[in-house]
Amino acid sequence: MKARMQSSSSSSSSAAAAASAAAAALMVKQEFFEKWIKGLQIYSSFNKEMTVMERKRAIKLSADVAIAATRSATTRWSRAVVADVSTSAAGAARTAAEQILGRKLAERRALAATCSRRIVRRSRQRRGKAAGRGVVRSSAAIAKKLVRNRTRVLKRLVPGGMKLDEISLIKETLDYIASLQVQVDVMRHLAAAAERLDHQQISI
Amino acid sequence: MDVAGKDASVEPSNANDDSLNYHTPNMAAEWQVSGNNLANTSIGMMSICNSLMESSACSSPSLVDSFCPPVWDHSINGQNLGYCDVNDASTSSNLGSVRADLGWNPTAMLRGGMFMPPVSGMLPNFPADSGFIERAARFSCFSGGNFGEMMNPFGVPDPLNPFSRGLGVVHSQRHEVNVAELSKEGGPLLGKQGAEGSPFKNEKRSESIHDEAKQGVGASGNESDEAECSGRGPQEEVDCVTGESSGKGLGAKKRKRGRGQDAQNEENNETPTQSAETTKDVAEMNQKGDQKTTSNSNPGGKQGKQGSQGSDPPKEDYIHVRARRGQATNSHSLAERVRREKISERMKFLQDLVPGCSKVTGKAVMLDEIINYVQSLQRQVEFLSMKLATVNPRLEFNIEGFLTKDMLQSRGGMSSSLGLLPDMTMPFPPIHAPQAGLIQTCLQSNSAEALRRPVNLQSPSSQVSNWEDELHNVVHMGFNSTAPPSSQDLSGKRQSQSQSQNRTCW
Repeated sequence: MKARMQSSSSSSSSAAAAASAAAAALMVKQEFFEKWIKGLQIYSSFNKEMTVMERKRAIKLSADVAIAATRSATTRWSRAVVADVSTSAAGAARTAAEQILGRKLAERRALAATCSRRIVRRSRQRRGKAAGRGVVRSSAAIAKKLVRNRTRVLKRLVPGGMKLDEISLIKETLDYIASLQVQVDVMRHLAAAAERLDHQQISI
Repeated sequence: MDVAGKDASVEPSNANDDSLNYHTPNMAAEWQVSGNNLANTSIGMMSICNSLMESSACSSPSLVDSFCPPVWDHSINGQNLGYCDVNDASTSSNLGSVRADLGWNPTAMLRGGMFMPPVSGMLPNFPADSGFIERAARFSCFSGGNFGEMMNPFGVPDPLNPFSRGLGVVHSQRHEVNVAELSKEGGPLLGKQGAEGSPFKNEKRSESIHDEAKQGVGASGNESDEAECSGRGPQEEVDCVTGESSGKGLGAKKRKRGRGQDAQNEENNETPTQSAETTKDVAEMNQKGDQKTTSNSNPGGKQGKQGSQGSDPPKEDYIHVRARRGQATNSHSLAERVRREKISERMKFLQDLVPGCSKVTGKAVMLDEIINYVQSLQRQVEFLSMKLATVNPRLEFNIEGFLTKDMLQSRGGMSSSLGLLPDMTMPFPPIHAPQAGLIQTCLQSNSAEALRRPVNLQSPSSQVSNWEDELHNVVHMGFNSTAPPSSQDLSGKRQSQSQSQNRTCW
C-alpha cells in the first residue's frame, strides 16, 4: 500500500501525505494487534486446552473484533461485526469481545427479519425474470444488471452491507478493505514469525 | 416553473448532458447568442483551472484516504472545506430565501449578456490548496462569465447577486456534486449558467431524494474533492463516469428526446464513451465544445464527433415544447447524476485500494474486482487464523507478540535473520509497562540499533534490522532454558511468563 502510494505521488505534499498515511497505518496495526492479543489472552485464560478448530475460531473472532474495535463503531461494518459476535457468541468469545471493545455487549437474539427480506427479494426477482424472459436487452441494461448483481454480492460480503444503499456501500467497502488489509498484514507477520520460531525450535 | 422557457428547457438538456462529458457543446450552442467570446475565455479559464487542479495535489486526498477512511471526512474537511464551510454559513440563508428565484435570474443575466469574466482576476486566486482550486475550478465551470460572483463565495457573500446565491448552494454535497458534474463536462461555461437554475431549483427535490444527512457537510468535502479529482484526475474516474453515465445518459436522453435524432445521439454517445475515456478527452471536449460553440452552424453534421452536438436542435425545440415534462425528469436525472457522482468519487478511492484496478474502467468490472479482492482478503484471514492455530498449541503470543509488532514495519521480512545470534547483552529498553508499552517502545527504540551493526539485513531501514534482531534476541532468550543473560531489561513478570509459557508452547 505504501509503495503504491509513493509511486503514484510526485509532489512533496503527496509524499508527505503518503508518509502520514503510512504512520497512521502503523498506528492502526498497532492498535489492532494489541487488541487482538488481548482477546487471545482472554481466550487462553478460559480454557487452556483447545482443539485446532477452537483455536482457529478464537483467533479469527479476536481478530475480527479487534479490527472492528479499531474503528470504534464509526463505521457500519464494524458495528455489524460486533453485533454478529454479540448474537452468536458463547461465553469465552463474549468475554473476549467485551474486553477488546471495552464495553458490555448487548444481549441479542438472532432476528427473523432477515428471512422476510430474503423472501421479498426472491419474489421481486421472480417477477423480474418472468417479465424479461426472452427479451434481448441493450448493452446498457445488461451493464445495469451486472452492476446490480455484483452490488448484491458485495452487500453480502461486507458485514452490515445489506441495508446500505449503493453509495454508503462503497464507502463502507473502502473502509472494510483497508481494515482487512491491516488485519491480513498483521496476521501474516505473526504467522511468519510464529512459523520461524517453530522452525527454530525444531532445529534447536 | 415555466416562467423562462429557455431556462427550463436548458435544465433537462443540461441534466442529461451533464452526465456525458462531451455534451457541453449543446449548452454552448444555446448560449451562443450570449457571446462566443465569453465562452471561449471561460473555457480557457476552465482549462487553466483544470490544469491547476491536476497539478495540485489532487491525489493527496486519495493517498491519505486510501488508508484512513475513518478520518476521511475529518482530514478532507479540515483540508479543503474551509471555504465550503464559509460558503455554507454565509450563503445557506440566502439560498433558502431565494431558491425560487434562482432559476430565473441566471437566465435573465444570460439574456442580458451581462457577464464579463474578469479572467485576470481569477487566476491569481488559485492557491495551492487543492480544495480551493477544486472549488474555484468548479465555480469557474459553473458560471463562466460571472467570475465576479464566483469570487464571492470565497470572499464576501453577495446576497444581491443571484449567482452568488446560486453558488452558495455549497451547503450540501449535492450542490458540490452538481457543480462537479457540471464542471466535469468541461465545456462551455455559458451553458452551465442555464444549468445553475436547475440544480438550485431542484435542490429541494434532490435533498429529499438523498439521504445523506448522516454524512453531513463533512462528506460533502470529500465528495467535492473526490469529484474534482475524479473529474480531472486520472482517467479512471472519467472512464467510470462516462461508463456509468453513458448507460444512464442514454436512457435519460431517450426519455427526453423522442425525436428522430435519438438513434443518432445514442450512437454518437456510445462511440465517444467507448473511444474517448481519458482525461485528455475531457480537455478535448472542452476544446471541442469551444469550437462547436463558435461554429455551431451545422450541429447535425458534427454529430460524428460528439453526440452532444447532435442534440442541440432537439434542445432548442425543447424550449417551446417540453418545458413541463423537463421539470419532473430533471429532478430525477439530477438526483441520479448526483448519485452517480458520489459513486464514481468513491470508486476512485476504491481503485487506489484494490490492487490492479487502475486500468479498470466501468462500474461492473470495478465491482467485480472489488468483490474478488474482498473475498480474497477474507479467505486470507481464515487461512492465516488456521495457520496460527496450527502453529501454536496454545494461544500464546506473548513473546513473538512484542517482536512481531516490529515486523509490522518491515517489508517482508526476516529471511536472513535466522542465523543471527545477536548480542545477548543488548539493552532492551527498560520496560515495566505492560505489553502495549513494550510494543511502542520497541518501535521507537534506538537500543536495537546497537545490534544493527553486526546484522546486515536486506532492508535498508534501520527499523527492520532492529526489530529482527530484537525478535531473535528475545526468541533465543525465550527458548533458552537457562535464564537469558539479557534479563536485565525485560520486566521480571513478563520474562518469567514468557519463559514458562514459551517452554510449554514451543
